[in-house]
Amino acid sequence: MATGTIPMKDTIRRSNMNDRFRPGEYYRPQSLGEATDILGKLGKGARVIAGGTDLLVTRPQGVTSLLDVSRLALDYISRDKDSFHIGAATRVREIENAPEFSSEPYRALGEAAGSLATATIRNMATLGGNLCNASPAADLPLPCIALDASVKIAGPGGTRKLSLADFYKGVNETVLEDDELLVEVQIPFAKEKAGTSFQKLRHHQTSVDIAIVNVATRIICINERCEVVKIVLGAVAPTPIRAKNAEALLKGKIMGDELLSKAAEAAAGESRPIDDLRASANYRKKMVKVLVERALRTSIRRCETCQE
Amino acid sequence: MSRIKITMDVNGRRHELAVEPWELLVDVLRDTLGLTGTKKGCGEGECGACTVNMDGRAVLSCLTLAVHADGKEIMTIEGLGKRTKLHPLQEAFVNEAAIQCGFCSPGMIMAAHALLKENPDPTEEVVRKKIANNLCRCTGYERPVKAILKAARMIKEGHHE
Repeated sequence: MATGTIPMKDTIRRSNMNDRFRPGEYYRPQSLGEATDILGKLGKGARVIAGGTDLLVTRPQGVTSLLDVSRLALDYISRDKDSFHIGAATRVREIENAPEFSSEPYRALGEAAGSLATATIRNMATLGGNLCNASPAADLPLPCIALDASVKIAGPGGTRKLSLADFYKGVNETVLEDDELLVEVQIPFAKEKAGTSFQKLRHHQTSVDIAIVNVATRIICINERCEVVKIVLGAVAPTPIRAKNAEALLKGKIMGDELLSKAAEAAAGESRPIDDLRASANYRKKMVKVLVERALRTSIRRCETCQE
Repeated sequence: MSRIKITMDVNGRRHELAVEPWELLVDVLRDTLGLTGTKKGCGEGECGACTVNMDGRAVLSCLTLAVHADGKEIMTIEGLGKRTKLHPLQEAFVNEAAIQCGFCSPGMIMAAHALLKENPDPTEEVVRKKIANNLCRCTGYERPVKAILKAARMIKEGHHE
């Protein structure tokens, strides 16, 4: 035996003394009804866990029980006659690898999934987790909003559906009640040819770190004129936001350099970033302009019916 | 309710355990099962030293609850190779001098193991992307990347695993 063996267990226990993440109860419901029942009974102390890559990092105090949704058969990508249905517990990796989302008119979704954290995290993290954690810098809400996604929510009285754009209330805050659970995300099929793009700026473009600014755009042109345009900004407000002034500048117009630059400028004006350890508010605003312009140009290039 | 009964297969051996709801897979592997090859580095998903394979995929055992591993197949560095014969990844890491202090090696090798199972012939770029969650402060990554590519060739040429 090696000399100087370190009593590892004691070391670990001591280092964990300030860690208050000690939920005493664990539930693994077999059905949505059971899940919302349990959530309703447990109230504020309960937290939903799927991949664990957010909850087990923040390790919040006061969590008394965990509800594991990873085995509720909520991992699927399916389609009906007018939309894709993506289960909330679908791993980010599956969205990244789905052929449906690797080309237009949904390419921004595949790109955002492929740029979320690292490949190892994407093996664990889920779509629903990324949406419900409601980080202002989350990647997946942006393309989903640009693609007009809606969310299906299960509660004690059945399910309700609302636009993902109306899902967010603030930093780490959604409209979900204590006894509600996100079930799936629905993305309507695009009827026309569209061009989309997801752009993300972070410290070292390969690192684990979250976005300083992220942007998703979608454009549809008909007879060279911009018919539909969505510009969604992340990490520059408490929630993902649409740059509606910028969108208004583009709508109905023929795309051109000057116009794109103006729209990007407008988007920067609409952003409401803060200073934090990653970047200053001022820098973020400047980067909104750069990323929006880049995203729009990429979207136009990818859309067969748009002309730059 | 306190401890929860789980069954997991670790390196081909079935274990029936009773774990706390908050216990992490990395702690159960190290402290309960004595498999200290898997390292606990940052404890928050940045460093990748705790990477293991769960049902064939690379996951971070410091961000995985032990209860979450119930019914799953876990493979750690101890499950790779035999006492008398190293796995090609281990052999390549040794021969390419891809190990210096060694703390990141088990995690990096397990990330590479999951990659090669899925993609036996990865490009250098793919290798770099797939080990992006495995920080190494010694090697500068050049040698680990070389070693993984070499292991891929060794496996293809029939060095048995």
